[in-house]
Amino acid sequence: MRVTLKSYHFVLFLAGLAISLLLTFQFRITRDVVRSPAVQQKQALAEQVNQSRQERDALKKRVGELRAQLDRIAAGQQLGPLKEELDKARIEAGLMAVSGPGVEVTLNDSNLVIQPGENPNLYVLHDEDVLNVLNELRAAGAEALAINGQRLLATSEIRCVGPTILTNKSYRLTPPFVISAIGNQDNMINSLQMRGGIIEQLKFWGIQVAVRRVDNLTIPAYAGSIRFDYAAPVAAPADGQESPS
Amino acid sequence: MRWPTYISITLVALVTGLLLTFQFRVSSRIEQGVPAGRAQELATELHQLDAEISRLQSEVSDLEAKLRQATKGQQQALAAMAGELTKAKIAAGLTAVSGPGIEITLDNPPLLLKTGRPASLYVIRDEDLLRIVNELRGAGAEAVSINGQRIVATSEIRFAAPFINVNLTRIVPPYHVLAIGKTDHLQAAVSIPGGVVEYLKDLGVRVEIQPHDKLTVPAYTGTRQHTYAKPVQSR
Repeated sequence: MRVTLKSYHFVLFLAGLAISLLLTFQFRITRDVVRSPAVQQKQALAEQVNQSRQERDALKKRVGELRAQLDRIAAGQQLGPLKEELDKARIEAGLMAVSGPGVEVTLNDSNLVIQPGENPNLYVLHDEDVLNVLNELRAAGAEALAINGQRLLATSEIRCVGPTILTNKSYRLTPPFVISAIGNQDNMINSLQMRGGIIEQLKFWGIQVAVRRVDNLTIPAYAGSIRFDYAAPVAAPADGQESPS
Repeated sequence: MRWPTYISITLVALVTGLLLTFQFRVSSRIEQGVPAGRAQELATELHQLDAEISRLQSEVSDLEAKLRQATKGQQQALAAMAGELTKAKIAAGLTAVSGPGIEITLDNPPLLLKTGRPASLYVIRDEDLLRIVNELRGAGAEAVSINGQRIVATSEIRFAAPFINVNLTRIVPPYHVLAIGKTDHLQAAVSIPGGVVEYLKDLGVRVEIQPHDKLTVPAYTGTRQHTYAKPVQSR
């Protein structure tokens, strides 16, 4: 068989060469990206974070089970008054799920169109706004509070991390933020919607606020640990606070 | 050239185009690299998760011990429940606690300045105290009080006329905020540049931060009735 060398053969040869070169590069680079320390480190970290999360959730479940088990054993005995006191302390401490009438406040970033030159930061929901709403609800007599299903304790912080909020030290919440509060519904709604109140202030910046009355709200327990590393109970309550030196 | 040749050339061109696109995308990703912040964020999260896991583990072993104790007899069960009650009470803020911590004293700016400069008209607001408490919580404070009022889960810090109410009790300046926790962390959290203390100082508020080896934070003294919130019995 005789092949006549035509011009397009040459073109095809060049194209084949280019493709093989590209393929080789492609493979090497892709492999390098995955192997580069930065990416590997991040992948390993992400994996570890996921693992730790699972471990934490499993432990949380175990704590809840153990507490329930302890309660069951105690229920069979004459521990009535003690159990009652324990329940009360646990509600206050956030260690027991509660239900009752309440309100749900949903907060989200502004939907206003920002004019050029304006500071977009003003139209974003901040941790302080969430703090203020929570504070208002507390002032209106909220008995139990949660945000996106995270029970709020005496030590719960509200902290902005980028667009998310961090609370109870290791729980990352994403918008929209739903605050649930059990308490006197009228009191809570009125104090939020008061003239010059928090909702009016937020609406000025276009931040989306919705208040909803829920007749039977359930707020989950904080299923974590209540160990204290620094604070030790004082046997006999000291007279007020320690005087500053 | 014949028909099949056209097809093969088209295919080759297509593959080349795709490869080129991929190549560009991958290269640009490499140049950007991994955002350092993201790795750091993950590391922080991991650190906090680890801390929580170790706390949970000690909680589990504590509860298991109590459970073993409770099955032994009535007296032991009573003791186990009493132990749980003590713990719940500390967490609820119903027990006074003591430990290392910091004391922050805040006072309104003086009305008259000796230097003749106009006095600052700024008055410490409820939000300022709220922010300080939030920072302290974020830094791991285990118990916080303001002027003798223990801050519990439902404590408000709110203007009521010219005064600030905490736990429905009026407090007046100077405000003493006490927090128990890791002293260094607490101190760093509030005095970070651009933080709440710097902001208040700029406005003329007198702020003093003092570490203490031993502080006592009083118990919550109000009577708390749960009129609306009813316990959900565990499954």
